[in-house]
Amino acid sequence: MTKKRKGNLSLVFPNKMYAFLIPAMAFFIIFWVFPIIQLFYYSVTNFNGINYDFDFVGMKNFVKIFENGTLGNSIKNTLVYAVVMVISSNLIGLTIAMLLNMRIRAKGVFRTCAYFPALFSAIVVGFIWSYVYMPSSGMIAGILNALGMDGSAFNPLGNFKVALFAIAFVEVWKGFGTTMIIYLAGLQTVDESLLEAGRIDGCTEWQLIRKVKLPLISSTITINVILNVISGLKAFDYAFIMTNGGPGKSTKTLMFQIYEIAFTDQKMGRASAFSVVSFFVIILITMFMLYFLNKREVEL
Amino acid sequence: MKGKKLISILCAAGMTASLLTVGSSTVLAADTYDTQAIENAGDITLTMMVSGTETQNDFETTVLPELVKKKWPNVTLEVTKLPDDNYYTALKTRLASGECPDIILVQPMYAGSNSCYGLAEAGYLADLSDMECLSLYPDVSGMTYEDTVYALPNGISILGTYYNKDMFEECGITEEPKTWDEFLDACAKIKEKGYTPIVMGDKDQYVMQFGLYQLACNVIYSENPDYDEQLRTGDTEFTDEGTWDRVLEMYNQLYEEGYIDAAQSLGTGASQAIQQFIDGKAAMTFDGSFNVTALKAEGEGGNFERGYFPLPGDRDDGKVYTATCLSAGNAIYSGSKYIDECKELLDYWHNGESDIWDAFIATGKYNMPYGNGVETSENYELFKPFVDLMDQGCAFHWCNQAWPAGTEGTMEELFSEMIGGQGTEVSDITEGMQDKFEDLLDD
Repeated sequence: MTKKRKGNLSLVFPNKMYAFLIPAMAFFIIFWVFPIIQLFYYSVTNFNGINYDFDFVGMKNFVKIFENGTLGNSIKNTLVYAVVMVISSNLIGLTIAMLLNMRIRAKGVFRTCAYFPALFSAIVVGFIWSYVYMPSSGMIAGILNALGMDGSAFNPLGNFKVALFAIAFVEVWKGFGTTMIIYLAGLQTVDESLLEAGRIDGCTEWQLIRKVKLPLISSTITINVILNVISGLKAFDYAFIMTNGGPGKSTKTLMFQIYEIAFTDQKMGRASAFSVVSFFVIILITMFMLYFLNKREVEL
Repeated sequence: MKGKKLISILCAAGMTASLLTVGSSTVLAADTYDTQAIENAGDITLTMMVSGTETQNDFETTVLPELVKKKWPNVTLEVTKLPDDNYYTALKTRLASGECPDIILVQPMYAGSNSCYGLAEAGYLADLSDMECLSLYPDVSGMTYEDTVYALPNGISILGTYYNKDMFEECGITEEPKTWDEFLDACAKIKEKGYTPIVMGDKDQYVMQFGLYQLACNVIYSENPDYDEQLRTGDTEFTDEGTWDRVLEMYNQLYEEGYIDAAQSLGTGASQAIQQFIDGKAAMTFDGSFNVTALKAEGEGGNFERGYFPLPGDRDDGKVYTATCLSAGNAIYSGSKYIDECKELLDYWHNGESDIWDAFIATGKYNMPYGNGVETSENYELFKPFVDLMDQGCAFHWCNQAWPAGTEGTMEELFSEMIGGQGTEVSDITEGMQDKFEDLLDD
């Protein structure tokens, strides 16, 4: 009798309720856990994606990606892309969220406009922006020509030093609306009485932002920074659509490089090894960011 | 007992009759497939997957299924057309899951993720050596792996130089260049007139292949047709003097002289370059026969007359060689339940006289070397010089068809760095190509 009771101690969540977890767990294991295990398995083979008669090659794939320099170049490009994204997207998103949190006319319209680019697919945005950036006859070059400047010299996607920033800017343009919405939600939780108290104490607007608003939305900042870091580290769409990794290899990000090794070079085994390394790089960066930002939240 | 005997006699008679009936409608020969397979199959659904962009009244997705239904009411042909990259991914996934469509599009030799040789080696393609229409093709070597034919090419593909005839005349160029020096002279004259001699969309780095492969035919393959095979055996290397170093130097000369503006081309996409050509903003562009429709479209430049010539090399004998070879074509999945039915369909399609053939030729996209309507097809005159060169034995495959996929990517990447002023030299490119080639063959 006692034993029976022990098995059903909780009236809120009886044991038999665990059965309902099975479909979700099965889905998770089949479509998430199993593919990740397979990724580790393929990373030590010479599987080409087509022929299943492959061999084990030990650590050769890992040695190759470190040897030929592709990993270093793609990690560098990805980090630069992520840093540009995190800083720009958060600064623009936060600034616009603060502006649109003020008592201004037609702020609903402005909020919609700011969020508008986020509604388009990356392919459409990338394709349109490649025309905007087009040298000589693109939109920006056209404006420069109209202003009497040399529009033909404007060629961001063809410039080895600028191309990565140019595509990162497009991602910021498309994504800042989402960042802004999250900041807006955070700012609306700031108690008006605290701001009033600050004003009575003689705070300037900048002091109110610095000393009251930002500390109170620190958890929102953490969310936005982490989301942008993850998005930046996953960068693929615009490098694929707008530059195809070029010019040279100046816009080859981690994800683009994995795609190229897997589907162009047909080295699925080596691409898996690349993915395993990327997996650990992204986990390390995300863990560091979470630790740093959580610590900062507590300090604030 | 009498009843049982009668039944057994009737059964035997019935079985004999049925065998005779089947025998009368089936043509079976030792060296061919069942050429009446569809007629005897009952209601069947055949599936086909090809790459490309679907157009209005598209041949593969609309016209072909209708014509198949008209010819064989018991056959439903379901065609899926996907953009190139999606096609490669879908093909791999479906091959891996064992649910590949019956008919698929493959590239000649080792080209791309759907290469004929790669798929044949993995055992995914059915043997097509017994198909009747094969005798109509002058050459299917690019679809033949270890003496077995695995695909039917959809004609021939050409790489050449499209040019604006009106602009050429205006610049005083009366004849198509036949030597490298004549070509450079033509570029100089166009530049002097204030026009852009050549527009290229180097932002899509694959377009670099269009000019480089034409030069490779003149410089390398004309001297050593087995160069690529020897790369695999180690008898030749990309770094060999007078081969790829010369090709890259010649092509780079066009950038150094300002005939192609790298500052512009590296930021211009392939479709944007085509637009600039049809808008009359440049005199020439290197491109393939597969883009002829886009290159003949009317732009801001009006409907000027277009010409197409093979880029000449610097040969002493003045001969011109062209990068003209087999196009991608249809293969049959070895795991298909309807291999003979697919063969019958493809044989009918490619027989040079069926209604499917007529519709296929009428698209103007395919350059077939035989059959009805070929000489009256829209671009016959434009492509004829290339076909003539092919008949004379002056045509070679596109380089990437013989290389493991990915080698050309390294070539484009490094060449892009060279024209972009990143300090990359010709020797860096050839060494990079050799390293990549060896690396890709390593496994």
